[in-house]
Amino acid sequence: MTTASASTDTATPAPARPGRHPHPRRALLLLPAALFLAVALAGPWLAPHPIDAPVTATYAEAGDGALLGGDQLGRDVWSRLLDGGTALIGCAFLIGAAVTATAALLGCLAALRPRAGRVLERAADVAILLPSVLGIMLVALAWPDGGRWAVIGAAIVLGIPFAVRVIAAAAAPLAAAGYVEAALMRGESSLSITVRELLPNLRGTVAALFGLRFVEAVYIISTAAFLQIGPQPPEADWALMIRENAPGILLNPWAVLAPSAAVALLAITVNLATSAPAPRTQAVTSA
Amino acid sequence: MAALTPGAPAAGSTDPAAAGPPVPPRPRDDFARRAGRAALRAGAVLLRRILVLAALLAVVFAAVEMLPGDAATATAERGDSAAAIAARREHLGLDRPLWERFTDWMTALPTGDLGTSARGEKVADLLRDPFPNTLALAGAAFALTVAASLALGCLAAARPGRRTDRMIGHTATTAFAVPDFVLATGLVLVLSLWTGLLPAVTVADASGKPAEWTMMIMPVLALAVPQTGWNTRIVRGALADQADAAHVEAARLDGLSTTRVLLRHALPGALPVIATGIATSTGMLLGGAVVVETLFNHPGIGTVLAGAVAGRDTTLIAGCVALAGAAITLVLLAADLVRAKTVGAGR
Repeated sequence: MTTASASTDTATPAPARPGRHPHPRRALLLLPAALFLAVALAGPWLAPHPIDAPVTATYAEAGDGALLGGDQLGRDVWSRLLDGGTALIGCAFLIGAAVTATAALLGCLAALRPRAGRVLERAADVAILLPSVLGIMLVALAWPDGGRWAVIGAAIVLGIPFAVRVIAAAAAPLAAAGYVEAALMRGESSLSITVRELLPNLRGTVAALFGLRFVEAVYIISTAAFLQIGPQPPEADWALMIRENAPGILLNPWAVLAPSAAVALLAITVNLATSAPAPRTQAVTSA
Repeated sequence: MAALTPGAPAAGSTDPAAAGPPVPPRPRDDFARRAGRAALRAGAVLLRRILVLAALLAVVFAAVEMLPGDAATATAERGDSAAAIAARREHLGLDRPLWERFTDWMTALPTGDLGTSARGEKVADLLRDPFPNTLALAGAAFALTVAASLALGCLAAARPGRRTDRMIGHTATTAFAVPDFVLATGLVLVLSLWTGLLPAVTVADASGKPAEWTMMIMPVLALAVPQTGWNTRIVRGALADQADAAHVEAARLDGLSTTRVLLRHALPGALPVIATGIATSTGMLLGGAVVVETLFNHPGIGTVLAGAVAGRDTTLIAGCVALAGAAITLVLLAADLVRAKTVGAGR
């Protein structure tokens, strides 16, 4: 904790850092996610066929110019697979970032000001009672023109209370530390203490939380898409592909298996990356 | 039993959480007072949970009100005139003041009246048959999750850092990342379409229940596996925290077997954390059940909700939220009681 306070110890950074978590292992855990995300994001430029034009027979088997066969309208599954990841990943990234950033600020506030903490704790109690799938259905229905943004908004609002709890729990011991009390006594604002004193020490927690919220967002968006909330049919979306092509699963299993595997791999690789040890303290030099 | 544990009398079966000094015998009226205090505490917990549930319902109602569009415009046909929509609004009671409608809805809830759907049917009637089916599905998955995650978590904690521990850890991390509908699709393909072991579609019998129990296997598995992954990590973590506690250390140094130390000394202390963790996955199970049901055609609220999405029926969904919230509240209450009992035993 003291090594990470970073304002005084720039002269003696050596003792804590090397040894325990060698970098190769971290890279090994981060690599699959990086590779998968890179391929999925570059996908639209790699697709050999347009996503909305039939090139094969309905549910055609693999081969004959279509690597993974055709879907229920004879469109190329491989091209649609390459195209379908960007929107999902982009939305999940947006949700993960928004939830993590808000929760980081609110969680530190909850740790610094007990009264605000109690209010936020009650909010989390309420949010736990609402299954996220039902919450999304509710918002998507009450706001019919919302489309993707309705799903994103609902996912952010529903995700924040739980994330606040995680950050508040991690920040509570720090809030009692001497340098935070000193800052409070100096009369610094909560925001300033949060940004300068608490968050630099919570980097590991925040990074892990972002990964978990990303995985959760992938679950929520793909589930909503599977229930036909959010992306609409002509779009290539992995969850939507699973749903649309389910009737032809015996004719061309790849039309269902490939997007299923893509969603699963996205979630698993990012999840694996979150289990990588937290970045060491060297990044902060001017706090 | 006493002969086997000569060195740790305080960490026996009746008083698992504390290794404190022997408790002096109590007079009888003290027992009555303790019982009274326990009842009071249980009452306070119950009241708090009910208030939280009421708060959720208020938030749901407010959210539905504040977002654009209401049941009248949502169910209107394309060519309906403004006058027709206004008449519809009046028919559904949407022209009354917000506060009046809210208090009506809230005060009717405890009597089992969940309001009227956009099509004019009673929501309670629409949900009476399907909701128990969903509860049965989610309940079976919940029981499986509890059993499996306790077993796997204990197995992993028995030899920390060894190969079994690492393997269970990695599998759990992988399992909880996979969305349940993706898992369900894979299960259907492998267990039903390729091998023909299980029926791919659930068929309801005359009473509206699944016709055969084998039809429950795949939906329950699809729900339980990801949650088991999550809860195994919680059990493993809670047991790891307990492993450093003084009384567990003492039991281990007394030379008791690993199984005994784990089950009799570490697990009781870890129970509050485990109960809270597992209780929070109830929401995921109920929400997941809705999705998995649509995939297997299971006769639960998933089918009703899919219809509600198509028909833009907000009241119906609010009714489902109320029922799901009540079910989750019950599980959280049970977790509260486990926690109170463990903490109380430690006093």
